[in-house]
Amino acid sequence: MKKLLLVSALTLSGSLCAMAAQEVAKSPPAAPYQQVSKLVKLPDFLPGMGQLFVDPATLPAGPFLAYDHDGRLVSTIYMLPTKDLNPDKSFADLAAPGGNVDHVDVYYNAGHPGVEEPHVHVVLWHVTAADEASVAK
Amino acid sequence: MTIARRHMLGWGGGLIAAISLSGRDVWAQEVVEIRMQGRADGSHVWFDPIGVLIKPGQTVRWINLNPGNSHTTTAYHPANFGRPLRIPEAAKSWASDYLLPDESFSVIFTKQGVYDYYCIPHEHAGMVGRIIVGKPESHGGWMEPVTASRGLPDEALEAFPTVEEIMAKRIVRQV
Repeated sequence: MKKLLLVSALTLSGSLCAMAAQEVAKSPPAAPYQQVSKLVKLPDFLPGMGQLFVDPATLPAGPFLAYDHDGRLVSTIYMLPTKDLNPDKSFADLAAPGGNVDHVDVYYNAGHPGVEEPHVHVVLWHVTAADEASVAK
Repeated sequence: MTIARRHMLGWGGGLIAAISLSGRDVWAQEVVEIRMQGRADGSHVWFDPIGVLIKPGQTVRWINLNPGNSHTTTAYHPANFGRPLRIPEAAKSWASDYLLPDESFSVIFTKQGVYDYYCIPHEHAGMVGRIIVGKPESHGGWMEPVTASRGLPDEALEAFPTVEEIMAKRIVRQV
C-alpha cells in the first residue's frame, strides 16, 4: 500500500512538474512573470540570452526565463551577486519551472540594469548546445 | 558647460567620424566619441577611451555600442545621487540616464578642469572615465575635485587613468 502511495505521489509530482514546464514552455509565461525589458531599461532581446522574463519578487536571483525569437523557452537563468556568495548567505529552494535541463553554464557578469552589481549567471539550458545559436543574436 | 541630450537610435553611423588612436586627431576634432562597450557575455564593460584631453568648447559624445547591455554617463556630482564632486565647481553636472544600444548622449565642455564620470550599473565593475578640459594651471587647485573619493568603490578608483598620463598622451585607451 505504501509503495502504491509512493508511486502515486511520484507520478503526481512528475505530472505537476510537467504541467509547470508546459506553462512556461512558450512566451509569454503567465503572471507573476514580467518582461524584463519592461521593468528596467534593457534591450528587449539580449544576444546570447534571449528575451527575459522574471517575477520581480524573486530579484536578483530569479529564476529568469529566457526565450528565443520563436518564443521557445531555451534556458532558466539565476543571477547570484558575488558579494552574496559568502559563508553567511545562501540561495535555497529557487524555483525551477523550466523542466528538463540539457546542460549548465556558469559565468561572471559585470552587472546590468535590474542586477546592478557584479554577479554570476547560472544558466540551465533546456536546449542542446547547438541550439544555443537560436539566441546568439 | 552645455549639455545637449540626444537619444537618437541609429545615430551612430557615419555622421561623425569615430575617434582615432591619435592624440593629435582628438585635439583637432570638434566632437570626440567615447564608446560604451562590453564583452558578449557581459563579463567586462568599459568606456573607450577611458581618458581624454580636449579643448574648451569641444563636444564629447558617448554612444552605447554594447548590444546586450545598457549604460549611463553620469558625472560625479552631488546632483547625481549625492555623489562626491569630481568635476570643476563652476561646471554643470550631467546624467544621461540609461542608454540602450546605439543611443548616444552629448555634452559640450567649456570650463577647464578635470571631470570624472561613471556608468550607474557598472561603477562597481570599474566602468568610469576621466576627461580633462584645457590646460589647467598647475597651482589653481584644479586637482582638488578628483581627490574626493567618499563612497567610490575601489574598482572605480583604481580604474581612472592618471591626470599625468592623459596630459601626456591626450587619449588613454583601456583596450
